[in-house]
Amino acid sequence: MIEFHNVYLSFGQKTIFSNFNLKIKKGEKIVFIGKSGCGKSSLFELLLGFKKPEKGNIIFKDKKLDASYIWQVRRQIAYVDQDVSFPNQKVFDFLNFIFSFKANKHLEFEQNRLISVLEKFELDYNIINKDIGELSGGEKQRLGLVIAILLQREIFLLDEVTSSLDKKLKQKVVDYFMSSHNFTVLSISHDPEWLEHPKAQIYNLELKKWVV
Amino acid sequence: MGSIDLNLLSLGFVFVLIGIPLALDLIFKFGLTKNILQSVLRMSVQLLLIGIFLRYLFLWNNPWINVSWFLIMVITSVFSVVKNTPLRLKTIFFPLFLAFVLPTFFLVIYLNFLVLHLKHIFDARYFIILAGMLLGNCLRSNIIALSSVYNQIKSYPKKYLYLLSLGASTYEAILPYLTESVGLAVKPFLATMATMGIVALPGMMTGVILGGASPEIAVKYQIMIMFAILSNGLLAVVLGILFTLKSCFDDFGCLKNQVFKS
Repeated sequence: MIEFHNVYLSFGQKTIFSNFNLKIKKGEKIVFIGKSGCGKSSLFELLLGFKKPEKGNIIFKDKKLDASYIWQVRRQIAYVDQDVSFPNQKVFDFLNFIFSFKANKHLEFEQNRLISVLEKFELDYNIINKDIGELSGGEKQRLGLVIAILLQREIFLLDEVTSSLDKKLKQKVVDYFMSSHNFTVLSISHDPEWLEHPKAQIYNLELKKWVV
Repeated sequence: MGSIDLNLLSLGFVFVLIGIPLALDLIFKFGLTKNILQSVLRMSVQLLLIGIFLRYLFLWNNPWINVSWFLIMVITSVFSVVKNTPLRLKTIFFPLFLAFVLPTFFLVIYLNFLVLHLKHIFDARYFIILAGMLLGNCLRSNIIALSSVYNQIKSYPKKYLYLLSLGASTYEAILPYLTESVGLAVKPFLATMATMGIVALPGMMTGVILGGASPEIAVKYQIMIMFAILSNGLLAVVLGILFTLKSCFDDFGCLKNQVFKS
C-alpha cells in the first residue's frame, strides 16, 4: 500500500534518509521508534507531501506521489500530531470548518456519531462549546484522534498521540487503533502500550531496521 | 469662494512652527532633531514637487497622462508594501499590482461616473486625487494583512499543514488566516469611522472646508470617501491574499521557502 523507494532526504548538512526503503501493507500496524532527529516525523511529512524527497519515490497504492496525486492521498490519510496544531477557535466551529472542506463534503457530521466517538475517549460532549485554547494537552490529543476517526479514513499517521494521556487512556487508544482489521496504522511512540501490543510490528528508524 | 492663498511671509510663519518641536528637543534632549529636520525637508520637497506636478496635470488634463500617473502611483504603493512585508518583490509584485489596480480603478470610475457625474471621468482633479486617497489605505491594509498571513504560516507551519492533512485545499486552508488578517487590517479603520466627527475632523473634510466649501458639502464628500476607502481596502486585501497564493505556495500546497526575503 505504501512504499518508500530509495528515498533521500536531508536538512542542510544532516542526512535523514539515504537510500531508504520501506514497504507497508494494508492493515499493518507499525510502531516507529528511534531517538529524536532520526526522521520519524519526516517520514510522515514525506507521505503527506509536506516534504519532498530529494531522490527516490514514494508509492501510495501503486501510484507515485506527485503534485496532482497528493491531494487524493491526503484525503485517505488521517494525521494526528503530538501537540495537535489546532487554530484557536471553538471546537464546534472547527469541526464545522473541517466538514465544510470539499474533500469532506461527502461525510455527514452527525451528532450521535460525534457523541459516541467522544465517549470512546472519555471526552464530555460539552467540549464542543469550549475554545480549543482552553483544552489541556491530553484533551487536545484526544480531540485530534476523534477528528481523525470522524473523517472515516483508514490510514492513520499517529505522531506521539498518547504522550499526554494517563495509562488507562493510552491503553484505550492503542486498543482502538490496533484492533480494527481495516486500519493501517503508523504510530510513532515509545509508550509500552504500543510496543507491547501483540499486533505491533516495530521499526527502528534510527537503524532503519525491523525489530524482531 | 476660494481659499486664502499663503504668501511667502505666511509660509515663513508656517515654518517658524517647526521651531517649537526643535526647541523642545533642545531642552529635553529627545534626540529627534535629525529626524524632524529630515522629515520636514522630505515632506516640503515632495509636496513642492507634487504641487508643481499636479498643476501641470490639471492644466493638461489628458486621460492618458492621468491613467499613466495612476499606474505609477499603484506601482509605488506596491513597492512600498513589498518593502514593509517579509515577501520578495519578484514573487508578489504582479499579483499585488492587480489587487491594487482592479478595485481602485473600478471604484474611482464608479465615484466619478455615478456619484460625481463627471463629464470626463478621468478628470485629474478627481481621478488622481481620489485614487491617491484609496491607494494610501490599500497600502496600509495590505502591509498588515500580508505580513500577518505569511508570517503566521511561516512561524507555525504545522497549524497550516494540519489543515491540508484534514483535506483542505490551499484556498480552504488559508481561509482562517484570511479572516484574521482582514480583521487586523480593517478594524483600525472601522474604529476611525465610528468616532469620525466627534474625535477628529478628517483631513479631507478639513481640506474641503478650508478650500471654501460649506460644511454640508464637506460632510457628503467625506462620507463618499470613507465608504470608498472601506470597500476598496477590503477588496484589495482579499484580492492581495488570494492573488499571491499562486506564487507563494507550491503544487503540493506548501508555502515556498524562497518567497521570503533572505
